[in-house]
Amino acid sequence: MRKFVNNPNDFVPEMMAGVAAANPNLLEHQPEFQLIKRKDRPVAGKVSVVQGSGSGHEPAHAMAVGPGMLDGAVQGAVFAAPPVDACYECIKQLASDAGVLVLINNYQGDRMNWDMAVEMAQAEGVNVKSFIIDDDVAVKDSSYTIGRRGVAGNFFVIKACGAAADLGKSLDEVLEVAKKVNGQVRTMGVALSSCIPPVKGTPIFDIAVDEMEVGVGIHGEPGRRRDKTKPANEILDEMFEAVSGDGPFSKGDRVAVMVNGLGGTPISELYVLYNRAARRCEEAGYTIVRNYVGEYCTSLEMAGASLTLLKLDDELEKMLDAPAEVAARIF
Amino acid sequence: MSDITIGNVERAIKTTADTVLANQQYFSDLDGIAGDGDFGASLASGFRLIDADLPEIDKSSIGNMLLKISMIITKNVGGCSGPIWGTGFMRAAMLTKEKQEIGLADLEQMVGAAIEGIKARGGADLGDKTLLDSLIPIHEKLKEHAEKGSSPAVALRDAAEVAERKMEEAKALQPRRGRQSFVGERATGTPDPGMVAIACILQDWCEQFGVERTPQAKELTQRSV
Repeated sequence: MRKFVNNPNDFVPEMMAGVAAANPNLLEHQPEFQLIKRKDRPVAGKVSVVQGSGSGHEPAHAMAVGPGMLDGAVQGAVFAAPPVDACYECIKQLASDAGVLVLINNYQGDRMNWDMAVEMAQAEGVNVKSFIIDDDVAVKDSSYTIGRRGVAGNFFVIKACGAAADLGKSLDEVLEVAKKVNGQVRTMGVALSSCIPPVKGTPIFDIAVDEMEVGVGIHGEPGRRRDKTKPANEILDEMFEAVSGDGPFSKGDRVAVMVNGLGGTPISELYVLYNRAARRCEEAGYTIVRNYVGEYCTSLEMAGASLTLLKLDDELEKMLDAPAEVAARIF
Repeated sequence: MSDITIGNVERAIKTTADTVLANQQYFSDLDGIAGDGDFGASLASGFRLIDADLPEIDKSSIGNMLLKISMIITKNVGGCSGPIWGTGFMRAAMLTKEKQEIGLADLEQMVGAAIEGIKARGGADLGDKTLLDSLIPIHEKLKEHAEKGSSPAVALRDAAEVAERKMEEAKALQPRRGRQSFVGERATGTPDPGMVAIACILQDWCEQFGVERTPQAKELTQRSV
């Protein structure tokens, strides 16, 4: 296994401890719950925004804790939702008088654990609400699935809700912001390789060197189809058409564009994709107001990328512009 | 009739922990075919603690013991398995808080309550290719034997048989709920890891309680992918 691990079972705890160690003034790590929280939160009058999911998607979720972003996050084992207990502690410890908003990516494990934790916290009088993010267009919503998955669009929901909370908006108002972003954001990803959860030690699916998985999930779940690899522009074109064709996008729109690496793709390749994305947006009559090229929601060392489009308006642009800082900073 | 003692229940839990721990990699490998490959490790993280704590756990009643088991699972497992297995044990515990011994009729009701809890928690039902496709027919079989006044040994043998047969039959299904539903038709033809786990556990209970039964499926005899 070409990985920097000690005991594979310690991978998540050691990673979380490292995040806190790198941000000693800002963050606190509680190993018993794999909780990363801001030391200066909760504060009176401000809604706390929290999240938690399986590990392996870094910088989501614990590394997205910081000013203007999440107030706290819990992570489970790689690709496994955190237990109810951890979710409950996350809510309880970050509960302010203004309340707590839990942002949940649409996976069954995440939903069940958070649902139980939210019920427990509500029973104790905590003002907590949750919201389900489902931006992935790859898997069609139908009676045969639990609906669309939540992927890189998660970043925009966090960013906007974090900004709204900083503005002193109420829990219901921050929840409305989450709904609005989720309604206007769409994502699809393509994988060129599998990934290896440290405890498993082997790839979670087989894919030949000349193959790609179109519409891959961030846990390696298959997407729309397996195909031969193509030139980057053709791959980007398919992602663009899937995403643009699904969302509420039309000529003249202002948009944010994200080209997100899945963990094993160099940033240079992401800019090759962005170059094409910018061209496609121009041709479609979309004005790119902000762009995001890098790793926001990954799948360990999976080679691949996703494209996200978010339709903007004055309110959302302000929220994307608002100051923020996260644990996984590069400046 | 009360012929299942708290000691029997404890032994069944100990056996379950042994099965889950011994097959951790196998269950994860099965999950890796159509899921995200964490099923075995997730379940083992809870049953490792159960195995360690079982000698000291509150055994004032069957229900109190099962409640502690459910809490260990819910608190530690996470993923999809934590809420599902934790809820199942909790619902079974609620019916036996005063009991030191149970009969087949009690066991049938415990399994029925666990099924209702799991349905409510995960939103799945019969035919969705989840562990409910094993538990629901097992429950029917237990009910049948409870009404006939069969011995627990006969009921266990038949329950193990149902678990193995349903696991085989469900391979052809396309999952609609549970972790395999993420991949839709690509999971068709593969067994559901939760259903394999149930079949393995019941087979191991048979061995532990001296019930003669020879499994046929390679999922049970080879226990490797």
